Amino acid sequence: MFVSDVEKAASMNLMPSRSDLKAEAAPAAKPTIAMIEIDHVSQVFQTSSRQDHLALSDISLTVDDGAFVSILGPSGCGKSTLLYIVGGFVAPTRGTARMKGNPITGPGPDRGPVFQEFALFPWKSVLGNVMYGPRQQGVKAAEAEAQSRALIEMVGLKGFEHFYPKELSGGMKQRVALARTLAYHPAVLLMDEPFGALDAHTRTRLQNDLLNIWERDRKTVLFVTHSVEEAVFLSDKVVMMSRSPGRIRQIIDIDLPRPRRRTELLLDPRYQKYVVDIERMFDDAGDDELQP
Amino acid sequence: MRSRVLFARLAPLLACVGLLAVWQVAALTLNNDSFPTALDSIRAIPSILGDKEALINILASLRRMAIGFGTAVLVSIPLGLLMGRSRSVASFFNPLLMVIYPVPKAALMPIIMLWLGVGDLSKTLVIFLGVSLPVIYHSFEGAKAVEEKMLWSGAAMGLSAVERLVRIVLPAALPEILTGCRTGLVLALITMITSEMIARQSGAGNILFNALDMGQYDTVFAMIIIIGGMGIFLDAAFERMRERLVRWSEPQFDIPLSFS
Amino acid sequence: MNGRDATRDVLLGLIPIALLLAIWQGTVSLGLAPPTLLPPPGLVFMRMAQLLATASFNQEILATLFRLFAGFSIAVVLGIAIGLAAAVSPAINAAVRPVVRVLAPLPKVALYPALLLLLGFGHESKITLVAADALFPILLSTYYGASTVEQKLIWSAMAAGTPPREILFKVILPGAAPSILTGCRIGLVISCIVVFLAEMITSTDGLGHVLITAARTFQAVDMFVPLITISLLGLILNGLLQAVRSYLLRGFPEV
Repeated sequence: MFVSDVEKAASMNLMPSRSDLKAEAAPAAKPTIAMIEIDHVSQVFQTSSRQDHLALSDISLTVDDGAFVSILGPSGCGKSTLLYIVGGFVAPTRGTARMKGNPITGPGPDRGPVFQEFALFPWKSVLGNVMYGPRQQGVKAAEAEAQSRALIEMVGLKGFEHFYPKELSGGMKQRVALARTLAYHPAVLLMDEPFGALDAHTRTRLQNDLLNIWERDRKTVLFVTHSVEEAVFLSDKVVMMSRSPGRIRQIIDIDLPRPRRRTELLLDPRYQKYVVDIERMFDDAGDDELQP
Repeated sequence: MRSRVLFARLAPLLACVGLLAVWQVAALTLNNDSFPTALDSIRAIPSILGDKEALINILASLRRMAIGFGTAVLVSIPLGLLMGRSRSVASFFNPLLMVIYPVPKAALMPIIMLWLGVGDLSKTLVIFLGVSLPVIYHSFEGAKAVEEKMLWSGAAMGLSAVERLVRIVLPAALPEILTGCRTGLVLALITMITSEMIARQSGAGNILFNALDMGQYDTVFAMIIIIGGMGIFLDAAFERMRERLVRWSEPQFDIPLSFS
Repeated sequence: MNGRDATRDVLLGLIPIALLLAIWQGTVSLGLAPPTLLPPPGLVFMRMAQLLATASFNQEILATLFRLFAGFSIAVVLGIAIGLAAAVSPAINAAVRPVVRVLAPLPKVALYPALLLLLGFGHESKITLVAADALFPILLSTYYGASTVEQKLIWSAMAAGTPPREILFKVILPGAAPSILTGCRIGLVISCIVVFLAEMITSTDGLGHVLITAARTFQAVDMFVPLITISLLGLILNGLLQAVRSYLLRGFPEV
């Protein structure tokens, strides 16, 4: 009974693959393959009062190789859960997630997470944290150290190799976390509100630096955020989610030129229109926390 | 789900039965005169509790324990709270407490007996000393962790320093204080038994060792069951009370974490 | 904390200890207590220096230390192993939890007569008692520390390619280290206390035995010496463990 209700609800809310915001010209045709496929995924949690809570309802989503995709939604819409399912940390109640066509059964070095809480190993130095992945992959110590030092320099922390995480600011910690994940060359970066715990200034700098790093090799990125500006600024595609139950409302292609410069973009009417339109859509839904 | 709750309630009981069963099997296999079986020991309990003198002895022990524990709690909580809120008070008392910490309190028994005699006063004083330290320590930690801004809010509402201590710090530190009291309660029992074992005058600890000396092995083991039962019962009863008092706080582990 | 505040703290802390010594000395000097009951502090410390120079007293200290370390080491190994196992495996948890709930509040010293009967009056019974008493704080804090290791640390290690069976030693054990070491510290102090008490109740050597011998012959001076010695031993061992702790936990934020 419950299941059929969910399915009925999902079928009525067919996800538009193109939005009314979609710009006229399609991006330069480039052969794309599906890096991640999320196929009719639902997630049910049991609350403490033993009631079923539908966190994700029949989500389907395809992320192309090399795409920067943001998942945007209010808190409690299950966007982080969706990311954890792709990471293999959480098994979906129904449906499957696939990576390069293979069903995801657990975490693996092809999908590297970056968490809002940094999750650095407090007992390891900056260098020790970054070297952890390569060493785990069987890279020789000297080689792993050389690679890690290069990465630490790339994220702008040269000279901090032997510091412990507790001695770093939040922004610096997140730089280390990014370097630690990049060190084992994941094909996909899974970023779970990575800049959510940072102050506005640090957040902006890290967004710019993340884009610069991303421009080098254009890894696939799945980026969870609740900031509309952040999503539009960074992404090729914004997946808008709604709450209770968490489902996809709309997928919006962000057709803005790259490489993006923040100062130019803020003045760009197209950027402004994306932001305003998305915010308006959330407002219309009345999808706020006061809802029981 | 209900059956799981029931199981969780019964689990400690099952554990008791299990431990007694292990004892029974071990005793039967060893077949040693000085190691009676669990059943034999349990059978010896009624004769101890039926003996009027032994019962009076045990009750006198418990009375001393209650007085020692009560006074220790009454003195230690205010001291610990003051230490937690005032750096000067803390640095005044901390080194002294650190020196006293590793001294076995029950070991003071011979010296205290030398001064105060073998009466109730010596035994109660030793229990008092044994209970004080963990209660002071936990009250101190609890008071130290109270959010400064909560006290600012209190001051803004016009509470005086003493009122803030009683009406904000005390309730906020209560979960931690009660953890200290729980440790203290078990320690009170331990100190009581140990001091009686050392002084060998009267009380539960004395009955235990007299039986050992006289080779009444089933009495020895029966006393162990009685004393162990007291510890488990007191701890469980205190835990019940604690749960009621701090229902608002974050759920804690249902097993005591600190034995300091 | 700056230097001046630290100095002030130390000075403040010395006041009650100095005061205690002064009252002690004063009580004797003013004749409020006969020296046979309360020997003056100078005499006690001199007697202690005198005894520390003798081989026999050092033998007693070594006997106590041996039992203390043997019991404490057993408690550390068992406590950490069972604590980790209970945190990681739900099956072990279901078995260990109720048993620990019953055994933790049980006054272990009450088991001492049983241990004497089963293991004899030698080292074994005392070491077992020390281990039994020190075990639970270590076990419980290991369990607590291991079950509160941040989930995302584990996920990060798994994503970096750590196989599940290595997670225990590469993430959970180091992550639980602060809590484990706190438990060890409590266990160490308990070991000091218990070994002394066990030696007082029945023994032929060790510091506790020295105290009891002195008490039987009403030698008040000799009663103070072992008490002060065990307090100093406790402080020294605690200091050593503190040094180990701050080395092992150099990366962790101050607790």
